[in-house]
Parts: sequence; structure tokens; C-alpha cells
Amino acid sequence: MNRKILIIGFSVLTFLGNISCKESFLDVPVQGQGTTATDPNVSQNLVNGVYNSLLAGEAFGSEGDIHGISFISATNIISDDAEKGSTASDQPGIGDIDNFNVTPTNGFVAALWNGYYNGISRSNQAIAALESASITQDVKKQLIGEVKFIRGYYYFNLVRIFGKVPKVLRVPKDSKDANTDPAFQTRASVDTIYKVITDDLQYAVDNLPIRTKSLVGHVSKGSAQTLLAKVYLYQKNWQKVLSLTQEVINSGQYNLATDYTTLWRQVGDNNIESIFEVQTGQFNNSDLGIQNYCTWQGPRVGGKGGWTDLGFGFCTPTQNLVDAYEKGDIRKSSTIISIDNSGKYRGTTLFDGFRIPSSDSVQNLYYNYKAYHSENKTIETFLGNRDQKQKNLHLLRYAEVLLMNAEAANELGQTGVAQTQLNKIRTRAGLTNTTASSMTDLRNAIWKERRVELALEHDRFWDLVRTGRAAQVLQATGKKFIAGKHELLPVPSLQIALSGGSLDQNSGY
Amino acid sequence: MKKHYKYHLRHQTSKPFLITSFLILFSMPFSEIMASKNYFTFQQKQAEVSGVVTNLKGEPLPSVSVRIKGSSSGIATDANGKFSIHASQNATLIFSFIGYENTEIVLNGRSNINVTLIEKIQELDQVVVVGYGTQRKVDVTGATASVKGEELTKQSVLTATQAIQGKVAGVQIISSGKPGSSPVVKIRGTGTALAGTSALFVVDGVLTDDISNINTADIVSMDILKDASATAIYGARGANGVIILTTKRGENGKMKISYNANVGFREASNLVKMANAAEYANYASTASGGSIPAGAVSTDWYGQILRTAWMQNHNLSLSGGTDKSIYFLSVGYLTDEGIVINSKYDRITVRSNNEFNLSEKFKVGTNVSFSNGYNQDVNLGTAYNNAYRAAPIIPSKIDGKYGNTSVYQNVGNPVLDIENNDNLLKDNRLQGNFYAEYQPIKSLKFRSSLGGDWLNANNRVYNQQFNNDLTTFITSGGNQRNPNSNLTMRNTETFRWVWDNTITFNHQIDKHTFTALIGTTAEKYSQTWFSAFRKDVPANQDLWYISTGNANTSTNDGSGDKWTRNSYIGRVNYNYDDKYLFTATVRRDGSSRFPIQNRWGYFPSLGAGWVVSNENFMQEQSVFKNLKLRASWGIVGNDRIPSDAFTVTITPNLAYPYGGGIATPGSAITQIKDPNLKWETTSELDFGLEFGMVGGRLQGEINYYNKKANDLLINVKVPSVAGDADGVVLTNAASISNIGWEFSLNWRGNITSDLTYKVGGNVTFNKNSVIGLNGGQPILDGGIGANQTYTTKTDNGQPVGSFYVLKVLGVFQNDSEVENYKNTQGSTIQPNAAPGDFKYQDTNNDGKIDDQDRVFAGSYQPVAYFGLNASLSFKGFDLNLDAFGNAGNQVYNGKKAFRQGVLDNVESQMAYTRWTSANKSQTEPAANGGNLPASTYFIESGNFIRLNNVTLGYNLPSSLVKKAKLSNVRVFVTAQNIFTYKDFSGFTPELAGDPTKSGIELNAYPTNKTIAAGLSVGF
Repeated sequence: MNRKILIIGFSVLTFLGNISCKESFLDVPVQGQGTTATDPNVSQNLVNGVYNSLLAGEAFGSEGDIHGISFISATNIISDDAEKGSTASDQPGIGDIDNFNVTPTNGFVAALWNGYYNGISRSNQAIAALESASITQDVKKQLIGEVKFIRGYYYFNLVRIFGKVPKVLRVPKDSKDANTDPAFQTRASVDTIYKVITDDLQYAVDNLPIRTKSLVGHVSKGSAQTLLAKVYLYQKNWQKVLSLTQEVINSGQYNLATDYTTLWRQVGDNNIESIFEVQTGQFNNSDLGIQNYCTWQGPRVGGKGGWTDLGFGFCTPTQNLVDAYEKGDIRKSSTIISIDNSGKYRGTTLFDGFRIPSSDSVQNLYYNYKAYHSENKTIETFLGNRDQKQKNLHLLRYAEVLLMNAEAANELGQTGVAQTQLNKIRTRAGLTNTTASSMTDLRNAIWKERRVELALEHDRFWDLVRTGRAAQVLQATGKKFIAGKHELLPVPSLQIALSGGSLDQNSGY
Repeated sequence: MKKHYKYHLRHQTSKPFLITSFLILFSMPFSEIMASKNYFTFQQKQAEVSGVVTNLKGEPLPSVSVRIKGSSSGIATDANGKFSIHASQNATLIFSFIGYENTEIVLNGRSNINVTLIEKIQELDQVVVVGYGTQRKVDVTGATASVKGEELTKQSVLTATQAIQGKVAGVQIISSGKPGSSPVVKIRGTGTALAGTSALFVVDGVLTDDISNINTADIVSMDILKDASATAIYGARGANGVIILTTKRGENGKMKISYNANVGFREASNLVKMANAAEYANYASTASGGSIPAGAVSTDWYGQILRTAWMQNHNLSLSGGTDKSIYFLSVGYLTDEGIVINSKYDRITVRSNNEFNLSEKFKVGTNVSFSNGYNQDVNLGTAYNNAYRAAPIIPSKIDGKYGNTSVYQNVGNPVLDIENNDNLLKDNRLQGNFYAEYQPIKSLKFRSSLGGDWLNANNRVYNQQFNNDLTTFITSGGNQRNPNSNLTMRNTETFRWVWDNTITFNHQIDKHTFTALIGTTAEKYSQTWFSAFRKDVPANQDLWYISTGNANTSTNDGSGDKWTRNSYIGRVNYNYDDKYLFTATVRRDGSSRFPIQNRWGYFPSLGAGWVVSNENFMQEQSVFKNLKLRASWGIVGNDRIPSDAFTVTITPNLAYPYGGGIATPGSAITQIKDPNLKWETTSELDFGLEFGMVGGRLQGEINYYNKKANDLLINVKVPSVAGDADGVVLTNAASISNIGWEFSLNWRGNITSDLTYKVGGNVTFNKNSVIGLNGGQPILDGGIGANQTYTTKTDNGQPVGSFYVLKVLGVFQNDSEVENYKNTQGSTIQPNAAPGDFKYQDTNNDGKIDDQDRVFAGSYQPVAYFGLNASLSFKGFDLNLDAFGNAGNQVYNGKKAFRQGVLDNVESQMAYTRWTSANKSQTEPAANGGNLPASTYFIESGNFIRLNNVTLGYNLPSSLVKKAKLSNVRVFVTAQNIFTYKDFSGFTPELAGDPTKSGIELNAYPTNKTIAAGLSVGF
């Protein structure tokens, strides 16, 4: 009896065991998330994902900021072109950058570090995927060239923001790899980083098609030549600057747009002058743009109020910038929104008809016109997402090619070339030809022209550092700039802590 | 085939037989010698002894056995409890009666004695639920505890776990007062680090992490398995302890109907007093260097978003049965308004538990519960932070228009934060099991149980359209606005099944009792969710459906999850003569959540017990009523991690609009994964001593445990250069040890025969420390806002999540103090400081204050936690008190640390005690705009003791109740959480959270106090 039952028992168990012990029962793939294996188009998609990182602007999360408020702060607000703006108490962290009180715990500085390295990581992922992708060599080289352009651009910004930075050209295997490989833990020299940049950009120059042969919005050979020229400009390699800019000029792909005032409006997107431009558009029935680029810089209600404002009022142009324009320079009114402070209460009417009330109802006196995007849907595209307005960011344009060409020519003693190029810029701005003729005068004239031509285009502070004028110019405006320290921002303290102290800090911080 | 099985069986049984033989050989002579003591008694003079036996209520007890010790002769009491017996003058009489404690009385020459018998404390004979079966409490060799259903229903709490706060040694319950939320249950310290810190719940065999669907009134018992030897049968899910809920069953007999209800109100038990308008104006003027007028209003923002809330709870059940079937049916309704404005929680539960005897050997049954929840949630996180920061000089709302805090100080109006957002979560959950049991012979039982848990949750979130203009606000401007209304609908469906098959074999030979269990279980979980979103949905609530929104704005999303587990279990129990106990279990677990090479694990355990009091040599002593020693060891695991943790996945929809217009889809790999993830394993050694003294009136238990959790799964921060978008990677990052002692003592006594009382207490001492980092870096966590990127560090030798901050040495009183604060090289350490600023310790003496100067400053892990309870019963009245608390830990005042503007409000105390040139404070800095670095300033003591529950009940006299044709009527009033003594200046020192960042008060839901009255009637 007993034995019979035990036999039944074992049979039952064996039976049940057979049902449940199949190994395949435990093979449950991840649901709802693709892998590199499930996406047949993975390499192309990853390239698009690299371009997508150009839109990053998260100042408060770990995802980071590439072209958002942290970038605006580290380029425009920190310079003599703009100040923090907004109300006195809003975002003291940006105020610290503005006033050179910045410390290694500054959240906006951390957001830049995070943003750029996340972008570089996407580039590294895409390059790794492209190298093993089964696509034609030509397509492969072109796509790698596009990615390397963006990676080079990111390192160029990083080296200008932080100086020495870790050189990361590969994807870590896992967290242990990320936490132990010295490449992830220590900073490479500035020269090493510049070598990475020039290598990447040279690859792009060699493998990208010219503008008319590439798709709109993609980087082209001209983009790579221009950026490489700018990198050499920072290294004072005048010959390279001159030859590269000359190639761009000679390519016949670009020219100055006739009307400066429309350059930064939607009608100016991807125009004849555009060389490298962050694209915006729509996705998922919503606007797709740089996170809060317009909102941070939008005019802000204040005083008596009474109107629905456009943003938080940061990055307000300084009086110093306003005064930098020569009389009759048409660029001033297309760069700066001036709030009516005349006491006549006329307000300020913008190009789309939007009227900003006068100063008693507005927080600040000046705002960045180049960051204004119309909410009037008949004028510019707007689907209602204020956080991601369709405002293209013009990072490289033909005017800068002419200015770099002029500067290199001047340094190499080709005064006539320099004057000619400079005058093209001045003529469009409604100004007379330059009177400068000595190398020094012409150099100063070109630098001054760079300031007003490229005002609020994220160039000024680095240009001051590049030309060695940062301390002199910024101290003159009353800023507490310390030479030898404030040319760079501090390495974020959290990153130093995560490296166990292997990352070193910039001097003075 | 037959032969094969035969061989197999012999092989199987040979080892236990050897062990048994050994034990028999060992124990026989010992018991023989002890028993021989009885031969030394001698005869004495006989006399007539008589008296009455009653119970504590004074009622006479009939049929009580009265026996002379050392002889077999005895009689029984008559219908009036009277007895009369011949005994020698020095004899000892033993009175025994089912359900009552045996009482021995030494006559000492008396001829008339009245005896009061005390009802037996059931603990030792009680049956407790262990994994996949039950055991007598006395047979258990692991550390377990059991709480009866009636204990749980005494309190007006929402979930059963909250009702055991402070009741069980080693069990720490951290509850948030939020309606519908589940408290965190920590058993024996923080042994694991990830989201799965909470214990595993098993409801009638169904494994779950959330029991908010269970009506407390339906619970018959809650069994808590604390140590690894007890939980090893749950293998990879046992690391955090297991709580087994058993729901009520019917009994053979006539139908019983019972109704109970309680009605009461709740309110926040403790609020932080913020500065009023005048205090604020004074402080903020100094901080901002401006002149801020106090104005006419003084808004108490917490007062604006909190309220007194009503709650009700009704339960009706009927149960009964016949030889063929038993049934239990119950309906429960609970409603809780929630102490935050606009919130509400309703829950309806229905339970039907039935069992059918198809034959003597075969029975089937079901335990099924349905719950329907309606949770009107509020955006409390934002509103609570904002209420702390919003200036009191701004009115909250006047004539339907809101005060514009945002234009004033860039902080949203907390009332508007709540009122503009309608967040409704409706869920239906069907949970239960179907089982069949076949018992061909008494000693063998086959059981198959198929459990299911289905949850459908619907979430509707509506955000009203409003602008920062005069239609909505008293003054216009600011960034609190929502230009387009929007509606999100989200549906989540979750289903899991678990199929257990077990065979239990039971055999008794003389004094040897064996129980063996083998079985398999398989489990599968799947979830799908989708959501839809549109803007411009009209404000009329009847139109809150996707179709009414602007189709040009519609977006949708959805995904899912799936995982499986497969396990084999085995357990052997051996009991020799109720003296020597032995348990061994093993579980082999496989989980789809781990890569193939780390998928399977073995989880064994061993336990032994010695019931000393059942030894013959103990029969003569009267100090110990019962005495048991236990020792056990086991290994358990924790696999509660996301299913995608080891697979590198692609983040889609990272599109780029080349040339403008519609964007081209793109993707990126944004998360680093650890391809070699394995599960956490916890090994635990446990020694226990259980005793009963003074005739069982004093019950006590002492436990020592030593628990090591290895390869803890932790979200580790990685350097940003690694390119992980959220900056954290889940990996096996650390090992943690918890060593502790648990003590509990309960006394039951009576002052007069009518007046009885119980007092009890328990305390757990626990030492938590990190004992390894798996070769990785210390883990930094607990970031607050932008300026305190981390506040904790989990490092070797320190408790997990230890606070790691700058040390405040004091406040600079004047310029010369700033000037003279130098390191040993003579450089001024804080040259930019002003009088009234904090003076921080330059720990590394490098002449500046930065992150390198941080020091460890305690942790949230308590040194000790404890519970106290007392009850008093007099005739029909009963009074119960419960208290609990913890000691020796620290909490971080995160909301204070979050302050980030000169116009932010401050706590009233800060406004008064702040440093000024007239008030030279050494602890409170001068008026400032927040944004302070993480420092000891924000660390406060976490000590507290809470009077958790006071209940006064009255059972109507049975004569009266019978007249009304009822079986019992009880009325009671109860007060929950009416008093807390704490050091912490914030809302509550009870702060759940991931272990690497626990104890940070950022937007804690305020704990509430409840006062309720209740009624329970049996028909």
C-alpha cells in the first residue's frame, strides 16, 4: 500500500517537474525594449541619436546640458555680452557663473560635463556600431564622418570649458570598467584633446560630401572645414586657418545672406549662410527643439505685470554690448530686444506683431532677440510646446568663415585680403568700410567685428580667452575675473568624488 | 521500473534512519535516569480536601480534572465547579482543564481551597504557518512570530502591516500616512539596498509585494518569518523576511454573521511651524539685503493644503459550514478622505473562501478576494516642497483667485499645485488561489495550488488650463501656468500566476515524528501598459476622455514586462518526543531576471531546537514553564531587480529633424548594463531562547542573529564620462552585515479575579555595517536639489547610507574670526565668509572647504528599536496601549537643505534663533538664501517614541446581548498615533527610502493621528 502511494507520488512529481523545469521557461527576453540585435537599422538610428544629443538642455537632471541654459551661461552670460538677468534671486547658480563666484558644486557646470560626455558616449556607441555594420563603405565612412564631426565639436567645447578632460573614445563594458579604467578617471592634457579634435574633424573633412551633395541639416565637408579652421584659430595656426577658410570660400557652396535681420528667424533656417546649425522641427505631435532654449531667454513679466510673458528672462544683453554697436549698425536691433523705458508706454513690438509692454511691467531692460521664436503660428511654426520651440541654433555660419579668413590673413600680413573680408561683413551690417590698416588696428577691428556680428552666438567669452583679453576686458566691466583661474570652469566635485580623487581640479578652484 | 524505485527509496531513507538511530541511542538512558526520580516519593497522612474552581471572571468551571501529584488518582469538578478529594496534608493538587493553564497547589494542611484557573496562553500549542505548510509553534526551529487577526483589527489603520508596528522584535515598520500606500517592512536591519527592501508577502500562497488590497478584517493570522532558516524555503525571495497572511475560513457549524465598523477622523499629527508674515519679512529682508514689508496677510501654507479628514470602515462577514463544505464570505468598505485637500481613498473588498470535501481523502478549495480601489491622488511632492518655501506674505486664495507666489519668488502656489491637477487612480484586483488536496492515507498529502493575481489599474490625470494672468491670480506674471489643458489616460494590466505542487509526508514511530515536504513551484508575471495623451481637453469633467482633446496634439506610449521563476523545494522536520527538533530545507531557484550563467541558485538551511522544559529532569522544577533553545543557519537570496537589468537595450525615439519639419526617428544606448548580474545572497546565523516562567505568565524570547548580505544589488553612481544617462548602474556592489539581539518579554497577571492585565515589550539592537564594496568605489547618494549633489556615502565599515557631510564648527562671530580661521600653513580657510556664516571644519587641512573635507556623521540605521504594549481588562472593559520607537539614528532635514532662494520662507525657529550681531548664535547662521552645502547643520537625531494606539473597549454583558438575540456586542474608541516624543524638528523621523539614501526628509507625507469609534456585533 505504502509503496504504491509513494510510486504515485514520485510519478506525480516527475510529471510536475517535467512541466516546470524546462529551461526555456526561464528564457524571457526583455519586453518592449529593442536591442542592437533586434534593430536591423541600428547603425543609422544611432547616428540620428547622436544628432539628437545636440538638442540636450537638461540643466537639473543627470542627462545633462549641451545647448541649454548651462551652455548659454558658460558662453554668453559669463561674458561681457550678457548677464544673468531674470530676478535677483532666481537661479543663484547662474549668477555665480556670471560673477565668477562659481564653485565645483555648481549644478549648471555639472550639467555641462554630464551633457557633453553623454553626447560623446552616443558618438562612441554609434561609431562602434557603424564599424561592424553591413553597409557600403561609402555610406559607412560618411556616417562615421558625421558622428566624428559632432564628437570633435563636443570635445572642442569641453576643452574650452574645462581645459584638461578625460579622453574617452570607447564604450565602457560595464560599471566596473567605467569605475576603474584610468581613461575614465583621469584628465588627458589639453594637447591630447586637441589632437582628438583635429583627428576627428580631419576624418570628417576627408569623408563628408560637400553641402549640395549632402542632405539638408546634416553636416557636410564645409561644416568640418569651418570647424577645423576654428580649432586651428584657437591654436594660432594661421596658415591652416587661411587655407581651410579659403577652401570653404572657394567651394561656392556658401555666401552671406542678404538680410542680417532674418538670420535667426525661421525663414533664415538652413539658408545660404548656414554651415552648421542645430535643427529643430516636430516629433510625436509636438515641437522638437533645444530644451528650453527660448524659454530661459524669453522676456519676463515684472513690476505691474498684466501680460502673459514668454519666458524666464535670462541672458539679458548688457549695456556694454548695446554700446558696442556703431551708429547705424542694423545688427543691433536684430540681436537685442530693447524694452521701452522712455516713460511713454509705447511698448516694444516684435517682428511678428507681439507687443511687450514697457519697462514698468517687464523684469529686465534688454532681451536676446536671437532666442525669440514667435508663438504666432502664421509667422513661425509652433505646436504649443514652449519648452522646445523650433528655434534653430546657428553654430557656424559663413560670416565667421570670412572673419577667420580675415584674421588669419592679417596675421600673415595679407592686409588687403583681411580688409576685403571684413568689409563684406560691415557692408551687410549697413556700415562703411573699415579704416584700420596696421596689423594691430586691423586685428582689433576684426575682434570687435566678431563681437557684434556673432553677439549672443556663444562665441564671445571663448574668443576673449583665445585672444588673451579676458582678464583685461572682463575686469574693466567690474567682474571679479582672476587671470589664470577663471578662463576655465571647475571640474564638478561629484565627478572628482566618483573618481576617488583621481580627477584633478583646475587651478584656483 | 519497480525495482528502480525500490532502490531509490531505500537510498533516500537511509540517512534519516541513521540520524534517528543516533538520537535514540543518545537520549534513551538520559530520560531513564531522570524518570527514576519519581521512585523517591513516600506516603503521608490522608484528609478530605474540598473547594470551588472558577475562572478569572468568577464563573464556576465544571469538569476540571483534580489530581494528586505523583499519583494517578483524580476526580472532576461538578456542574458548580465544586470538588472534594482525599489527599495527604502535604500533597500537591494539580488542576487541569482544556484551554486553561495547569495549576498546582500545595495543600500545606489546608482542607478548603478555592482555585482560579487562568486561560492558557496559546503560544506554544498554537499552529503557525510556515512556508508551504504549517507547524506547531513548539516545533519551529527558526525565528518566527505570529500576530492574530484580532490584534490587527484593534487599530484603525489601512494596512495590516501598520498594525504590527512595534509588536514584534526585529521587525521595523516605517509607514507613510498616505492613504492607500504600503508601509516599508524591514526585518532585522537593512540587509539589501535596492527597491526590494520590503519583506515578501504571501497571501494564502500567492506571493506579492503589496497587500493594500487585503481587508485587515479578513486576516486570521499574520506569521512573520524572520531568519534565513525560516525564509530559506522562499529561496531567492527570502532575504528581506517573509510575512505570511492567512485569511479566514468557515467552521463546521451554524452560520455566524458579524459586522464591525469604525468611524473617525484624522489630521496631521505634527507640523513644522513656519515663520509668519512678520517673522518672514524680517528674515527675508536681511537675507536679500532689501526691505520686504510684512503686508496684511500671513498665510500658513501647510494649513492651506491640509485638513481634518473623515474616515470610515465597515465590514460584514458570514461564515459556517457542514461536513461537506465550509464557507466564509465578507464585504468591506473603507473610505478615507486624506488629510491633504482634494485627496480621497475608497476601497471595497469582497472575499470568498470555500472548501469542499469531495470525499474523505480529497478536498478542493478556493480563497478569492476582489478589491476595488479609488484613489484621488494629489501632487503632494511639489506642493509640499512649495508649502515649505512659499512666502507667508502672499495670500493663498482670495475670491477664487490665487496669490501669485511664483511672480514673487519663483515658487508655485501650493494650493494651485494641488487644485490644478486631478489625478485619479482606479484599480481592480482579483487575487486568490484554487487548491486540491489528496490524502490517500493519513500520513501522506498531495497538494496542488494554483494562485493568480490580476490587477487592472486605470490612471486619469487632468491638468487644467490656466494662465499667469488676472483670471487666475490676484497679480499676474510668474511661471506657474499651463497654457493648454491636458489629459493623460493610462491603463496597466498585470497578471501573475504561481503554481505550487507539494507532497507532505508525515510519520510517527514511537516518539519519533517525521515530516517531509517536497515540491515544485513555477511563477510567471506579465504586465502591459499603454497611455494616451491629448491637449485642449475641456474643463467639464464629463468630457475628460481622449476623444474630446485636440487630435493634433495626441501622443501615446506603452510597454510591458515579463519574468518567470521556477523552483524546487524540500524540507524535513524531525521531532523526538517534543524535546529535540531538527529542520532542514533546501530550495533551488531559477529566475529569468539573471543572465543564463547566474540563473540558478541553491538556498539551504538547517535548524535545531531543544525543548529543555520537556526533559524529565525539568519536571521537578517550577521556575520554567517552558524553555526552548534554538540554533539555525540558512542562505537566502534577493532577485527583486528590473527584468531589463542585464540586457543592453536601445532607447528609441531620440529623433532629429534634419532640415526642419517632421523628425527622423533615432535611438541611443543610454544605459550601461552589468552583463554578469547575480543575485544577492544573505547568510544568517540565529540563536534563540524562548521561555515561560511563573506558570507561563511570563513569556520571553531572546534572539541573536548574524546576517551577512553579499553581492548587494545597488544602483551605483558612475562617472559621467561613462555615458550613462541617469548616471547610475545596477550592479552587485557591496556586502552588508547586520548583527543584532532581540529581546521580548510579556507578562500576564491579575490583580483581582476581575481585573487582569498584560504588559509586554520588545527591543532589537542592530549593528549595520558595510563589509565590502566588491572592488568598487564607495557609493554616493542622497542628492538634494542642485547644490547638494550627494549627502550619503556607503563605505566599508560604516552603516549603509551614512551621512557624509561637512562638519559645522560654529558660526563666525566677527571679521577677525574669519581672518584668523587658518590651516596649519597659515592660509585663511574661508576668506569669503562673513560674520554669521558657518565655520566648517577643514578636515584635510588644505586651506579651503570642499568635498574633501566631508566627514561621516551618523546614519538612518537605528542602534535600537523597540515596542511596548499594555492592556487592562475589567469585567467587560478592556484598555490597550501600544508604543514604539527607535534610538541611535540620524535624519537629514532635506527640506531645509532644499531651500534655494533669499525669498524662500524659513522655519519660525530659524527666524528667531538666527545669528545677528545682537544674537551671537553658534548654531544658527545669519539670514541667508539657502543653497548651503551639505553639512552637519542639517543632521538631527532620529530618536523617537510614539504612543501608537490607545483603545478602550466594552463588551456588553452576555445576558443583555442574548436578550437582543445576538452573540456578542463590543463598542470601542481608539486613538491612533496621538503622541510622539521626538528630537527631530521636521514632520516625522519615520522616513522610508532606498537604503543608500534613507532618512532624508524631503517631502514626507505627514503622519496622521486618528481618533475613531467602533462597533462590532456578532449575530
